[in-house]
Amino acid sequence: MSATAAPTLDLSATPQVPMSRLAGVELRKALDTRAGRWFAISILALVLLVQVIYAFTAPDDAKGFGDFLGVSGAVLGYFMPILIILLVTSEVSQRTGLVTFTLEPRRSRVVVAKFLAGFALAVAVMVLASLIAVGGTVLAMVLGAGSDWSVDGNLLFNGFVLANAIGVLIGFAIATLLMNTPAAIVGYFAYSLILPIAVSILAALSPGFADVAPWIEFNTAQTPLFMGDYTPTGEEWAQLAVSGTIWLVIPLVLGIARLLRIEFK
Amino acid sequence: MIEVSGLTKTYGGFRAVDDVSFRCEPGQVTGFLGPNGAGKTTTMRVMAGLTPATAGDARIGGHHYRDIPNPGLHVGVLLDASAQHVGRTGREVLTIGARTMGLPDSRVEEMLEMVSLSPTEAKRRVRNYSLGMRQRLGIAHALLGDPSVLILDEPANGLDPAGIRWMRDLLRSYAERGGTVLLSSHLLNEVELIADVMVVIGNGRIVAQGDKLSLLAMDSDVSALASSLDDEALAAELRQRGFNVSLEGEGVRAGCAPEEVGRAALAAGVVLTDLRTGAAGLEDLFLQLTAETQRDDLTEGALA
Repeated sequence: MSATAAPTLDLSATPQVPMSRLAGVELRKALDTRAGRWFAISILALVLLVQVIYAFTAPDDAKGFGDFLGVSGAVLGYFMPILIILLVTSEVSQRTGLVTFTLEPRRSRVVVAKFLAGFALAVAVMVLASLIAVGGTVLAMVLGAGSDWSVDGNLLFNGFVLANAIGVLIGFAIATLLMNTPAAIVGYFAYSLILPIAVSILAALSPGFADVAPWIEFNTAQTPLFMGDYTPTGEEWAQLAVSGTIWLVIPLVLGIARLLRIEFK
Repeated sequence: MIEVSGLTKTYGGFRAVDDVSFRCEPGQVTGFLGPNGAGKTTTMRVMAGLTPATAGDARIGGHHYRDIPNPGLHVGVLLDASAQHVGRTGREVLTIGARTMGLPDSRVEEMLEMVSLSPTEAKRRVRNYSLGMRQRLGIAHALLGDPSVLILDEPANGLDPAGIRWMRDLLRSYAERGGTVLLSSHLLNEVELIADVMVVIGNGRIVAQGDKLSLLAMDSDVSALASSLDDEALAAELRQRGFNVSLEGEGVRAGCAPEEVGRAALAAGVVLTDLRTGAAGLEDLFLQLTAETQRDDLTEGALA
């Protein structure tokens, strides 16, 4: 504080809050509450549990490192979005947005910081899940399966990294669009559980719908990322792009526009 | 330092803030006073860049809040002490603020000490804090970056009398060091204790502003209350001097300044035992100024 009472604020010596610091703070905020920390720990515990079960129950020829990686990727992909949802919706549900956007009034910078934090978190959890997959493979070897450490590059990129990145973005889209923790979590399960089931029932009843489904339902379109040779065909990529626009790009754009405009009360 | 000019905020057809203009000077504590829903919080939210103004302008040190880099270092804002993640500890709330502003963690300890939150309390989650403790935490958060301007919405709400005294001393010494303070309240006696200058708002409009004396001067009915060893003689002397006099309670109410009563007592040789202004006082003035916006009809005798 200056000793003389100047009627203006001299801002020349004050730099903006650097993005690295904003992102670091957002990462901290994702893990510094009981809810956030235990959710992250629970996801990893669940991955561990599923790996152990898989090591005991899967056929011996499906117990390579690649298989374990696929399993942990699927579990992660399912729950990562919720961690992201908590990071975004708490600003409204817990009303912390009042402080967050007072300390950084340029909201778009906070949005970028949250994206960076979300992806950093996803990478950290993926690395830990890979380590757990190593453990699972070793366990399978102890149980008598042959050692197969080869990893299909397509599985690693499409089934593990890309699928989780999509999950992070889906979490963002739902969170920013609904801006309410319980609603966003329910919305996410409706999107990821109920919707694919409804679509597969409809597809079973009507062969015509089965052809249309991957074009309009994002979960269905993502299946080639985790199945077969983990490599979508040209048509399957097109289906990913079309359904992804409907379920991911449009909601994300609307959601971020909303986050930039709403009044935090 | 803070300059609000022609600020208007409408929600649909509702004018929450209607052409509000005032200034807050460095070295002074400005009290922003008004009944619930008068537009205090909306005005402060516009100042902190959280709500866009429909018309008009709020500037801090010549800048819009949004244009201030790392604003926590320049303007301390407390809009709602309850707007904190209830799952974080008090210390964690301050740590997040300090990290965002780029301050060392030692600053957190300094602030905790300054607002008298003990290490044990700082380890507890905000969920378990009383409103008074949340206010202390919020004030600590506002002061983290050693800003030169403080904007506090209802900071005394939930504080006990000792807490209000503590806050008065804190804000006073802050203003004496050259800081600018704007604090809102719907309770006159809080503001009266803490503020040098008052801005009174009702129904989104400024109804009065100035220091305590100039506000009191708005009360046009000059009167004095006196009691003496011989009220009859005093009353007679005052009547002779052409003032309205009535015997009231234990003494005399005269339609003149206390000074005139003193002169009359001197001339009549009557010993005064009590002499004070009979003006309505700030509280009556406040109710009168904001009468149209009060939710409850306080017309005298309404309850009788």
